[in-house]
Amino acid sequence: MRTKFFLLISVLVLASLVLGACQPAAATPETIIQTVVVEGTPKEVVVTATPAPAAAGPKVLRLNMGPGDIPTLDPSLATDTSSTQIIEETSVGLTRQNEETAEVLPGMAESWDVVNNEDGTQTITFHLVSNIPWVRWNGKEVEQVKDCNGNPRYVTAYDFEYGILRTLNPKTASDYAYVLAFAIKGAADYNGGKTEDPTTVAVKAIDEKTLEITFTEQAVYNVNIAGMWVAHAEPKWLIEGDDCTEARGDKWTETGFFQGYGPYTLKEWVHDSYITLVKNPFWPGLPSVPVAKIDEVTWTMLDEVPAFAEYEAGNLDVAAVPLADMDRVKADPELSKQLAIGPVLCTYYYGFNTKAKFVDDARVRRALSMAIDRQSLIDNVLKGGQEPAQWFSRPGLTGAPTLDKYPDLGVKFDPEKAKAELQSYLDEKGLKVSDLDITLMFNTSSGHQKIAEAIQQMWKEYLGLDVKLANQEWKVYLKTIRDPQATPQIWRLGWCQDYPDANNFLREVPTKGGSANPAEGGGFNWENPKYEELVVQAARETDPQKRVDLYAQAEQILVYEDAVMIPIYWYTRVTVTKPYVQRTFSVLGGLEHIEKWDITQ
Amino acid sequence: MGRYIARRLIYLLVVLFVVSAITFGLMHAVPGGPFDREKALPPEILENLNKRYHLDEPLLVQYGRYMYDVFIPRITSVPPKGSVDDDFLITVKLGNVWFKWMNFGPTYSSRSRTVNDIFRQQLPVSAQLGIMALLVAIIIGMPLGILAALKQNTIFDYLGMSVAIFGVSVPVIILGPLMIWIFGVTLKWFPPTGWGAKPPFVLGIFPRDLSPEFFRYAIMPSVALGLGSSAIIARLTRASLLQTMREDYIRTARAKGLRESLVIVRHALKNSLIPVVTILGPLFAALVTGTFVTEVTFGIPGMGRYFVTSITNRDYPVIMGTILLYAVILVIANLIVDIVYAYLDPRIRYD
Repeated sequence: MRTKFFLLISVLVLASLVLGACQPAAATPETIIQTVVVEGTPKEVVVTATPAPAAAGPKVLRLNMGPGDIPTLDPSLATDTSSTQIIEETSVGLTRQNEETAEVLPGMAESWDVVNNEDGTQTITFHLVSNIPWVRWNGKEVEQVKDCNGNPRYVTAYDFEYGILRTLNPKTASDYAYVLAFAIKGAADYNGGKTEDPTTVAVKAIDEKTLEITFTEQAVYNVNIAGMWVAHAEPKWLIEGDDCTEARGDKWTETGFFQGYGPYTLKEWVHDSYITLVKNPFWPGLPSVPVAKIDEVTWTMLDEVPAFAEYEAGNLDVAAVPLADMDRVKADPELSKQLAIGPVLCTYYYGFNTKAKFVDDARVRRALSMAIDRQSLIDNVLKGGQEPAQWFSRPGLTGAPTLDKYPDLGVKFDPEKAKAELQSYLDEKGLKVSDLDITLMFNTSSGHQKIAEAIQQMWKEYLGLDVKLANQEWKVYLKTIRDPQATPQIWRLGWCQDYPDANNFLREVPTKGGSANPAEGGGFNWENPKYEELVVQAARETDPQKRVDLYAQAEQILVYEDAVMIPIYWYTRVTVTKPYVQRTFSVLGGLEHIEKWDITQ
Repeated sequence: MGRYIARRLIYLLVVLFVVSAITFGLMHAVPGGPFDREKALPPEILENLNKRYHLDEPLLVQYGRYMYDVFIPRITSVPPKGSVDDDFLITVKLGNVWFKWMNFGPTYSSRSRTVNDIFRQQLPVSAQLGIMALLVAIIIGMPLGILAALKQNTIFDYLGMSVAIFGVSVPVIILGPLMIWIFGVTLKWFPPTGWGAKPPFVLGIFPRDLSPEFFRYAIMPSVALGLGSSAIIARLTRASLLQTMREDYIRTARAKGLRESLVIVRHALKNSLIPVVTILGPLFAALVTGTFVTEVTFGIPGMGRYFVTSITNRDYPVIMGTILLYAVILVIANLIVDIVYAYLDPRIRYD
């Protein structure tokens, strides 16, 4: 019995020795060197802040991606900005957006011919850049991918055809296949399982350099869609295998297997921890996608707060500023110089269930919308320099109205008018303000809660109206707001661009059958033939100014005349960047084009 | 004892069966599915996704498929395909056939990975952190508790218990950023975030290289995580030891003229350890499978995140996998606790 007890004690002693061992270990000579180096860094950083690593070593950029693993690097499967950020650096679409102007430029296609067919479809023939090799990281360096005869593999129209058809293949189960299914002739039937024959999809590689795609509509944004990640070239030999390559299937995007053809290629992806891209020395440079200047880019996967600590410790070169640190950063003489607030093509809004009691009258909806002091909300609650939204399609999108051309479009804070609108409704119905029973619902989150409480307060102050707040867990909430019966009177959502055109906002969200207006009911529960006609007309309009005008008319219906939604704010991105990083600021929802960045002295 | 352990392991199977059935039922009963998004997916796309992950089948068939994939070993001549549907935790080549066992399925939110990948790459990190945090908890907690009990109502007692109260009441979400700020950003003693080891791991759990660098990364999170538990252990040790000291056999031991130090070490301390050992089982299971807040705060690529995000994402295979794993570790930890009881108190017999 005694021995047994001492056994336990000795286990504990042993355990303490193991842990204790770490401390003596930390005192061995080699560690001391390390500690000295580490403790020395802050001083060194101060000195080297101006003369940086220079030509000495490789230029390494350290960024943060945000918490959680990157969902996928497979262009066919990506849905979010973390995934597309990496995909856009490791492969290039037929067209490529300029990240600062959102303009669509030639990418892997150096030019294209557009033919409008008599049946209302549009055929675009893309002429590809030649001699861009597929590359991979072999563990030591970037090398060209060779075919079974030992010749380098170049990116061809067949690779694009394969990529597009793989996205559309129902077995791939791609979320974003719907963008292509909707746009490309024959794609919906193939993706929806009505036919199993991929040749019915109007995507044809004529030869290695020519790709022909027929679109269902004669729309100006067809070339945008052709440039999306879901339409990138993919390595068939790697995914499905061939005589000299082992098939990697779903795992082809993992470290060691991955092949790409962009300005960067994948070096290492340690899931949940970090991802490293390395410069592709075989990338020849295109007008819209230059040769990269930085040799290696690493993204850590940290939450905002620890990432900002790493930035302050000098271990990250760019970081988002957490809300809690905002005031300190603005006041700090050093940090405030590194601060930049830039637009992001997203809109935060409240939607109305236009068939629900009280909010089934446009006057009530308008009153609620006009009684929100958006600037005050931004200054006091959001604090991220967001812009008050007057309409839905965020300026910066192609076709979207801009504030300097349309300063009075849409809806603005106007408490007097709001009160008058509400009064006119109340008088007509013979009601008092206190009779109105309205609920605003949002998904559970402290951020949405704060915004909703501020707005609730504004409605109380400017309209004398008590609105109830309700919240639900995210997935439950999504079911609720798409349920024909359960949809609350006012609900919250946001929308970010998939491709930078007003069509992606104004047609794909509020039209009947759109993302926030299900055909079977729920969401906006709204249909306005004039609006539907305007957005279709705008999609087909080729004169840019007329297009903006059509969208402006549509916006006026959406946010003012019918007032089915309350646009609240347009997103911005608040980041700090070390002074030695030369960078561009992307408006594409955080999608940066790192190949244009540099690290200087 | 052998028979007892065998019996308990059979119970484990029953527990797993019950846990899996309840979890499966609950997660499908909660409204919302894995593919409900802010941007609603068109019905055709949803159908493709449901078909891809067999969510279009009746629930009982889905459950049967899952249990079959996880529990029934296979022997096949087909080599593993490298697909996310064909990833078994145990894959052994025996001559020209393959023995494959335990396929926990693909994850919906990370499309090139499987639940087994999470077990291989994230669980070891959480386990390393958890074990170190547990050691911190024991090494700080037990001596503090013993000291407080032996010097009851003195400055040692008050000081020790104040530390314990502090440990319990200051959560990692406060302590973590504070430590990062002081020791990581300002003093630069330790790296503010990250972990010093990455997959593959030795024996599926240990870092390849136990360098001082590894511990430099590990110290802050281990202390932050261990401190809360050390407080619990300290209070429990104190209370238990105080009670034991009042037992008759302690008086007897003293009456025999035994030296006070022997009385405490041989008679009091050992018996007072039983409640402490009891909580070590569940504590071990909780710490080793990962802790969300600590991992997020210190940017550690562990498994804690998956316990939370799998549920918010309705990532069904990950929910099942994490819960079953937790159940296995909890049952085994409790089994070990029971075995330790027998050593601590000879009156406890299992046969």
